[in-house]
Amino acid sequence: MDSLTRGRDDPAKIQIEHLSFSYPDKQERRVNVIDDLSLSLFDHEFLAIVGASGCGKTTLLNIIAGLLPPRVGKLFLDGQEIKGPGLDRTMVFQDDAVFPWYTVHGNVEYGLRISKTKKEERERQVAHYLDLVGLSGCDALFPRQLSGGMRKRVDVARAIITKPEVLLMDEPFASLDVMTKEKLQEQFLKIWNETRMTVVFVTHDLEEALFMADRVVVMVSHPGRISRIVSVPFDRPRTKDLKTFAEFQAMRRDLGHVLDADQEHST
Amino acid sequence: MRDKKNLSLETGRSRLSDFLPKIIVPFGILTLWIVVSELRLVRPIFVPPPENVWKSFVGMYRLLPKAILTTVVMTLSGFGIGVGFGTISGLVMAYNKAIRDFLGTIFDFTRPVPVFALIPLFILWFGIGRAPQIALIALGTSVVLGVTTLEAIRNVPTIYIRAALTLGAGRQRIYSTVIVPYIVPHLIGAIRVAAAASWGLDVAAEFMGSQTGLGYLIVMQQIYLRTAGIVMLVAIYSVLAVIFDTLIARLEERITPWTERRSSIGVVASIVGSG
Repeated sequence: MDSLTRGRDDPAKIQIEHLSFSYPDKQERRVNVIDDLSLSLFDHEFLAIVGASGCGKTTLLNIIAGLLPPRVGKLFLDGQEIKGPGLDRTMVFQDDAVFPWYTVHGNVEYGLRISKTKKEERERQVAHYLDLVGLSGCDALFPRQLSGGMRKRVDVARAIITKPEVLLMDEPFASLDVMTKEKLQEQFLKIWNETRMTVVFVTHDLEEALFMADRVVVMVSHPGRISRIVSVPFDRPRTKDLKTFAEFQAMRRDLGHVLDADQEHST
Repeated sequence: MRDKKNLSLETGRSRLSDFLPKIIVPFGILTLWIVVSELRLVRPIFVPPPENVWKSFVGMYRLLPKAILTTVVMTLSGFGIGVGFGTISGLVMAYNKAIRDFLGTIFDFTRPVPVFALIPLFILWFGIGRAPQIALIALGTSVVLGVTTLEAIRNVPTIYIRAALTLGAGRQRIYSTVIVPYIVPHLIGAIRVAAAASWGLDVAAEFMGSQTGLGYLIVMQQIYLRTAGIVMLVAIYSVLAVIFDTLIARLEERITPWTERRSSIGVVASIVGSG
């Protein structure tokens, strides 16, 4: 509910102004992936971005992360222009990004080692965050010894242990089976309720977006742009029963029609 | 408890079946050898009977420790320098474009050159003795490793680099925490090939004007047409090379306990040949 009561004139956590991005295609023509996109994110907000594949949502996330430079437009984090990747914006990827050569412990403490945190403090934090994602006692295991869901939790712990200003999530649960996915959604919401960090959550799963987020940004493609922004009215903490409520299903249906129209348009 | 016992039985059986070919194959070759020489199917000058080989071993055994030591020290020094130089060149080539253009061109030109053809030049430049021999082995090894290292770095999945970047790692950090750990298992193959090649390079180097070492002894035996002695010395080379190769394989298991290969079982393992 926070996002509804919060006024538009609150200072934005992330400000995206007239962002355009294009990839060169094989004939060296520019293909517009994102066209003149502006968006504000509030502090402590859980924002989901949904859209069909190819609508530029992952590209947008990579630009916020600083992994890709915007072609036109500017991005600000707390009023500072984003110029490259940094510890203040960590990311959870769709693919398996856990380093196979480090143990669970080594993976989770990675960001703390980069920021030169003292060893005792690192140990304390790693223990805390492993507990938070339910992986206590797995410290010494290598990623190959874990299931996909467990590896994803390592990835989440690794990204949030640095206490980023903004956590970027690129379809983090898309490759998991339905049961693991639901479990991780609930677990992550619980963690989020305790930490209230700002989250940008990219997904193509409308149910997931409505279940997790305060606001849902719907993007359409060719070129990638925002079609509408929907505030999600459901109270927190949310449990998975919420997904069966009529109001929830009605919202899901409406958003579905928007995406379907975009799909038909492009094919 | 019973499960545990079954498991150990299982591994015990597979160990024995792993081990059997390693006994049967040498034993079979030895038998064939004895049969061939006993029946005089081939003249002893070409294939000497086992007892002659043994006799030449007894006759030369006082010379052997020093020769083996020389050869091992020479080969390992050349190999060590070559692996070190090759790997580091590969890393700096990937790190810096100017270095890549410069060193890469040198590698491109030297790689196809038959190293053995350089032996007379090396003797001319470095003189007779250990220096040209070590240099030759080092050159042969470093070219293999430089190219492999660069290639392995290019194959590092970008997802790991992107993850490290978003966790605040800089270029150097990414090299030490992502690229180096990733390429190590990919280099082991090249290192084993280079190790095997370095024994060959050592023999070639010793053929050209060495005063000690196993290769030198082979030349001496050749001059006097003592085939048995040559066979004996070749066998020693083989034993050294096999021991060295086994050590590298063991070392690999030690330093890369994290690789996926270690967990492949069943049909997958039988297909990729790791079972």
